[in-house]
Amino acid sequence: MRKLIVVTVLAAVAAAVVTAFGVAATSGSAPASAVAEQGALPTLPAEIRRRGRFLMGVKCDAPPFGYINVRGENAGFDVEIARWFSRYAFGRPNRVSFVCTPTPAREPSLTTGRVDMVIATFTYTRDRDTRIDFSRAYYQATGRLLVKNDSPINSLANLAGRTVVTTSGSIYDRWVRKCYPNTNLIVTDNFTNAAIAFNQGRADTLMWDDTVLVGIAAADRNTKLTNDKFLALPYGIGIRQGNTALVRWVNSRLELMRKKDRFMTILRNNVPARFVSAFSRNILRPRAIFGYAPASAPAAETVCLS
Amino acid sequence: MILAVTYDLWSFVSENWEPLLRGLGRTLLVSGIAIVGAFVIGAVLGAARAHRVPVVSQLAAVYVELVRNTPILVQIFFLYFALPQPIGPWPGVRLDVFTVAWLSVMIWGGAFNTENFRAGFEAVPYRFREAGLALGFSKIATFFNVTLPIGGRIALPSSINTYIAVLKNTALLYVISYEELTTVALQVNALTLETPETFTVLAVVYLTLVWSLSIAIRQLESHLALPEER
Repeated sequence: MRKLIVVTVLAAVAAAVVTAFGVAATSGSAPASAVAEQGALPTLPAEIRRRGRFLMGVKCDAPPFGYINVRGENAGFDVEIARWFSRYAFGRPNRVSFVCTPTPAREPSLTTGRVDMVIATFTYTRDRDTRIDFSRAYYQATGRLLVKNDSPINSLANLAGRTVVTTSGSIYDRWVRKCYPNTNLIVTDNFTNAAIAFNQGRADTLMWDDTVLVGIAAADRNTKLTNDKFLALPYGIGIRQGNTALVRWVNSRLELMRKKDRFMTILRNNVPARFVSAFSRNILRPRAIFGYAPASAPAAETVCLS
Repeated sequence: MILAVTYDLWSFVSENWEPLLRGLGRTLLVSGIAIVGAFVIGAVLGAARAHRVPVVSQLAAVYVELVRNTPILVQIFFLYFALPQPIGPWPGVRLDVFTVAWLSVMIWGGAFNTENFRAGFEAVPYRFREAGLALGFSKIATFFNVTLPIGGRIALPSSINTYIAVLKNTALLYVISYEELTTVALQVNALTLETPETFTVLAVVYLTLVWSLSIAIRQLESHLALPEER
């Protein structure tokens, strides 16, 4: 009997020690300070507070923004923003359940209430704004073309008659259909299949956001990016339309993170050192703010170059 | 709460009928090729298995087990994504998307059809085949004059199942972005986000299509039926 009590107490102590280490390792900063620095900011909507965790839509195949790392966990720039929101809301970074939302699934998962918000390389467009709400801009990306080193495509001007692959329902899908009707467009249901189609030579070029394509071009020495930069459009966090309380909460926390230069820390955690200075021009910083195009400007994916 | 979007079927159809019609055409094309191919494969390999033709019947058995015991989605992925990769001695063969489309569905249908026809041919009572041989027909002639007419009719109803399944399985080709009806509909949905209209159209079209196919085959069945069964 006495042995049993001793063993149980030791086990409880060991469990407490392990938990304490686990919390300290994952929080990055002590939970209390993340909660304390919020002061008199907008409060979390009641529904999420009751649930005790966030449901976040993220990309699972778009490094460095959203992907699955070697340990099988969600990781990336967007995923770390989600964890910061979890710290702000609940004091811990693990009060998030992630749902993989590839490009065509992002809006439906918001309109059907599957997720609270979508942080998944979600470009703001006025068309999307009619169906869902966006937070303020948090990342400025441009579109690029990925080509093989020996490709005859040097720029957008060479696209006629070639095959372009991109994801279904993206701004690139709409833009190419409108502005380059004499290219052969392949659209896939997720980015992975688009990348595979490009790798296997089924398409001459892959058109997507610079952030993901730079990573691919860096890793695969047989590929390169052309110099064209187009559709410079910021990412926003997608939130179900009408949920103004959550939009206010998200915007206030993004502002807090900007002031404390947290985006730079997240960038350094997710991007190889040689790309950090280039990408640091794309993030919110204490001295760098960007927003969406004014409402009077035409939607970028409907505007053709030249 | 779900957004109250207006459900406007007619304007959805009138704006998007062109790509949907092209998609429908491709579905019919791929299904047509695959159904004919599955019939041929099924009849030939089913006959080989029913008559225990050496080598061919063992190879056919391996083919049938391989295809029946793996999901068709895996087969489509394999033909489209895995075949082009050079591995060891395999040089890597890249098939274009249309070839993968009809080939994958045809191979799948052929495997199931082989079993349909094998069952049909084996159901022909042995005395009929004996009678044919006794009348002086060669083995091949017995097959064409006795086993095939009777066994083929027995196999027809279960073949209907296979052909219907082949038609419906063409919807899975969306994973390789072959622009058949389902793929086009999902792309239109991704661009317009008129989801209820998209899936209404898809459901109605497939229902019509598959129903027509099964009516057509049942007409064929009754046309071929032997006089005493009419």
